[in-house]
Amino acid sequence: MNGTDDQVDEILASVRKSPTYLNLWSAYKKIQRLSPKPLEDVSLRTSIAVIGSSTLEPLAACFDVKIRLEGFQPHTFVGGFNTYRQEAMDTTSELYKGAPIIIVLAVDAWSLLDQNFLSDYPRMSSKSRSAQMKELVNSVTAIAERLEKSSAALILVNNFIVPTFSPLGIADNKQKLGFKKFFRRANQLLEEKLEGNSNIFVVDLDSVASDFGKSSTVNWNTYYRGSVPFSEEFTPIIANEFMRYFCALKGFAKKCIVLDLDNTLWGGIIGEDGIEGIKLGPASPGLEYVEFQRALLSLYNRGVILAINSKNNFDDAVKVLQEHPHQILKEEHFAAMRINWQNKAANIAELAKEINIGLDSIVFIDDSPVEREQIRRTYPEVMVVDLPKNPRLYRTTLENLDVFDVLSFTKEDMARGEMYVGKRKRNELEQSSTSIEDFLRTLELKVRVKLIDDFDTPRVVQLIGKTSQFNLTTRRYTDAETKTLRDAKDSAVYSMTVQDKFGDEGVVGVAIVRMDNTSWTVDSFLMSCRVIGRSVETAFLAKIIADAKIAGAKHVIGEYIPTKKNAPAADFYELNGFTKQKETDDTASWVLDLAYSTVKVPDWIDLIEE
Amino acid sequence: MTDAENTLTEIISKVLLLNKNELTDDLKRSDYEPWDSMAHLILISEIENEFGIFFEDDEVVDIWTVADIRSLLSKKISD
Repeated sequence: MNGTDDQVDEILASVRKSPTYLNLWSAYKKIQRLSPKPLEDVSLRTSIAVIGSSTLEPLAACFDVKIRLEGFQPHTFVGGFNTYRQEAMDTTSELYKGAPIIIVLAVDAWSLLDQNFLSDYPRMSSKSRSAQMKELVNSVTAIAERLEKSSAALILVNNFIVPTFSPLGIADNKQKLGFKKFFRRANQLLEEKLEGNSNIFVVDLDSVASDFGKSSTVNWNTYYRGSVPFSEEFTPIIANEFMRYFCALKGFAKKCIVLDLDNTLWGGIIGEDGIEGIKLGPASPGLEYVEFQRALLSLYNRGVILAINSKNNFDDAVKVLQEHPHQILKEEHFAAMRINWQNKAANIAELAKEINIGLDSIVFIDDSPVEREQIRRTYPEVMVVDLPKNPRLYRTTLENLDVFDVLSFTKEDMARGEMYVGKRKRNELEQSSTSIEDFLRTLELKVRVKLIDDFDTPRVVQLIGKTSQFNLTTRRYTDAETKTLRDAKDSAVYSMTVQDKFGDEGVVGVAIVRMDNTSWTVDSFLMSCRVIGRSVETAFLAKIIADAKIAGAKHVIGEYIPTKKNAPAADFYELNGFTKQKETDDTASWVLDLAYSTVKVPDWIDLIEE
Repeated sequence: MTDAENTLTEIISKVLLLNKNELTDDLKRSDYEPWDSMAHLILISEIENEFGIFFEDDEVVDIWTVADIRSLLSKKISD
């Protein structure tokens, strides 16, 4: 640590306390002036760009500082005033030099429309309206696609803020393409055109603006003085929206909600009020809880894991889950349950262990401030929700958390809940088996290893982005980078699918190798924690080594880069007979000489090759 | 120092990237590099928002020193 780093930390600490526009802007400028040295931890260095049709430095500043508050060090490129076309087209421009991981394209519709657009609109033919609408959308998507082709970044395209005013007044929507509909249609078309592109996302700025209050999204003084498109209060709100993409890209999404029962899932205390006495039903009071549960179920159905942490008699509480006619969440929706009289911090640690996720992937919801405080103090990495006292606000609180974002949904995500039932059954079998091998044998494990294709690439990119525990190098590649590695001659991307008699886990492992004439280097090797403890990783490695041999390689080189979370993978190469080649502070490299050694598929695994 | 003066000092020092005790009334826009046109724009709008006032364009361009801001603001508030 030197003086500059301390100063940066101090600046960030004060912004964290009060993240106003003025403080964010001031922090951005101060840090820029200090120009701190690049962080030693390369994985925390990052790069973003914000380009568009107006003065975007304030927005870029807010985004930059919010990224810093998450512990990263961004290099931020801000496009010039209305020069985004040149910046996008010129592949040697400063925009691309920083190799941004996110490029924001913020184009104001009015900058692309004819200056007489507003005044002419009432008399414009519907044909002309429609043509201009399409032209508007095409010019934005063309730039977005150019950005995508010229970089490995995730492209965020702001949609258009639909005006609240129309020169046609209340008869606006009686027209074929009314004034407001012009913008609504444009937004719809923008989404449709980009829907199939996994590297370009349309940011629903119109919806963010509506939620904020459209009349306050612009400060007309700064708009006319300096072409600043967004007001001081609104700018940080847009940056928050961008942060959702940043966090999803970095794999920070929360995975699991741990729930209290009494006065959280239902009103009242089951141990005192009894199953007929608790508030849970089709009318208020009771409907609040039913709707909160429905919102939880919607998250479960998209792959958020649910668990229970409650101080209760087990039988009383489970009876509600099984028998209450208005209970929405049933026993089978919960991956794990701790219903006992233990302290909740101990319970939450056990739940994390049983589900096999990090404490920092957990969101804790409990009506009791005392319990919340205990969890917060014992495990600061758990996200503790400040649940409002009023249960009528539970649902909206949940819906506004915005911490479960992922960039795409895979088959595996959707069925995650069901997979946990399989896991519970597996656990039961393990308890009743005489030895671990006996257990693994009865599982009837099938492992399928293949080179990835268009179908499994989204899931592979997702695993690369979020796997933290069994991950040898934790290199986070974007969708575009992964496809490049997949298609290049001197690298290959493998996926592993695991299946057993309790179900199909889908794609749960990824390996990336880089090849030269004599050796294969395992650049990345990672596996979902769901399948840890079944030696499937050994089968996966065995297949890669077999391929290396066939290709004529003499060595396979593996690396291990320790992080806070990946200790479970530390001895992977050692266990598989690799020899340590060299070790520095942040990397250990291991080698296997293919002339003398190999790795065998465990005999309880059926390796299916393709 | 009154609350209003204190608030103003805080805004100016934040935009001009100084600690409050480093800020002097004779600091000049023309010879202090961080006081560029963007900083000037933000300074003006922050003061406007905070005090619920409005600066005319010719007032904005006529602000050359910290002292100018202080005197203009006190005039606006007392009006």
